[in-house]
Amino acid sequence: MATEFVTAIKTNEIPVDGVKAIDVRGTRIAVANVGGTYYAFDDACSHEQCSLTDEGDLTGTTITCTCHGSQFDVRTGKVLAPPATAPVSVYPTRIEGDALQIEV
Amino acid sequence: MANAYVIIGGSLTGATAAATLREEGAAGAVTLIGAERELPYERPPLSKAFLRGEVPFDQSLVRPAAFYAAHRIETLSGIRATRIDVSARVVELEDRRRLPFDRLLIATGGRNRRLSIPGSELEGIYTLRTVDDAVRIKAEISPGRRVVVVGMGFIGSEVAASLRQKDLDVVAIEPAKTPLFRVLGEDIGQRVADLHRAHGVRMIFEDTVVAFEGTQRVARVITKRGLHLECDFVVAGIGIEPAVDILAGTDIHVDNGVVVDQYCQTSVAGIYAAGDVANHYHPVFERQIRVEHWHNAIKQGAAAARNMLGRGVPYDEVHWFWSDQYEANLQYAGFHTTWDQFVVRGCLKSGNFVAFYVNDGRIDAAVGLNGAKEVRRAIPLIKARRRLNLSQLQDESIDLRSLHASEHPEG
Repeated sequence: MATEFVTAIKTNEIPVDGVKAIDVRGTRIAVANVGGTYYAFDDACSHEQCSLTDEGDLTGTTITCTCHGSQFDVRTGKVLAPPATAPVSVYPTRIEGDALQIEV
Repeated sequence: MANAYVIIGGSLTGATAAATLREEGAAGAVTLIGAERELPYERPPLSKAFLRGEVPFDQSLVRPAAFYAAHRIETLSGIRATRIDVSARVVELEDRRRLPFDRLLIATGGRNRRLSIPGSELEGIYTLRTVDDAVRIKAEISPGRRVVVVGMGFIGSEVAASLRQKDLDVVAIEPAKTPLFRVLGEDIGQRVADLHRAHGVRMIFEDTVVAFEGTQRVARVITKRGLHLECDFVVAGIGIEPAVDILAGTDIHVDNGVVVDQYCQTSVAGIYAAGDVANHYHPVFERQIRVEHWHNAIKQGAAAARNMLGRGVPYDEVHWFWSDQYEANLQYAGFHTTWDQFVVRGCLKSGNFVAFYVNDGRIDAAVGLNGAKEVRRAIPLIKARRRLNLSQLQDESIDLRSLHASEHPEG
């Protein structure tokens, strides 16, 4: 399926080292602001679907799902610590003016 | 010649140790011996999602089957190790095979305590530790059936929750005043009791089971205070004992499990222990500790493997566990047995809080009900062993992460 960049949120709505969840075409996507660089990934933890925005703790580029301790690299979605075994999907981002766009 | 590594225990601890040995460059043979016939699997789902039929067993495997072959890990499943010959450095198996080792890891875990009271041989009385146990209990699940859960520790509480979620009629009996009383104390225990009560579990506290009655199958549970509870089956969650039989006749020191130092090494050089069976010296708490947690199985299994490779890394992980019951997430980090202050951050009655077990102004442990983030943020505070300003700890407007650097000398 073809993908395209969709304006999702204003960049200034995501605090530095914070995570915000947004609905993009029916998918709940989390966006992390790591020192001015934005990473978009599935909000649902691949282990038991806790919201990474609500339950996650972001340190650098690592997000920890505090429900059960799984960790992911927000740049790649890769699992850094169990119990999750499957990665979370990641989405390319770009900045257009003051808007953050996500490719979905 | 490269060292030969043998691991007794086809468990989360054993499998993590085997994988870590390879990741860290072990060259010699790695053999993983498991008494259960399945490849190593994770036990947390057995009382929760697996029991409720929400996830298949395969999802609980620690590693897929192909992993072991790809990493030259020989798995001997469904076979018991029966003896360790310490001087010859050989493990004997029940089929009389003899496996020589240079480094040995004991990860035998524990076995369920069972009630030995009149009627305990009747059918329909279960305990839960293995997937076989879970499959047997699962076969009893049907809406409206009556179960008596004996013991409201973690296993009993989780099983009671799962069975209520499957619409069974659940009665629970617990000798203490509340669920989880021994570990978490009365304040937290009452909140857990509230949770189960709200979901329709009938709980009987400060009473014990003295007999089971029935013909062939259990039909009734008799308590010390004289209650007769009609039931279709029983699940007893009354704890485990460390599985140390294999150490009989060896010089390996056993005391509440296999005694190991901070490098996971037993009293015999080259022989290590990790997981539920290991009573380990913890450098943060400066005492011997034995825990039965998923997180410890992974972290200590990995630490033992590194030390089997001569890395000399102390195991100083702050212990942590979770327990999901209904929609609630309970978490605990640290280690405590007693406390001189119990500091609550948030409101206990709200069912969303974190609380701290404090001794002499230092946090030994944190517990949270729907407070996972806060429990995680408390871990560095626990590890630092510093006296903290307890009023700051209580103040929800102060980020726990900002307390890390501060020290409060007066406590």
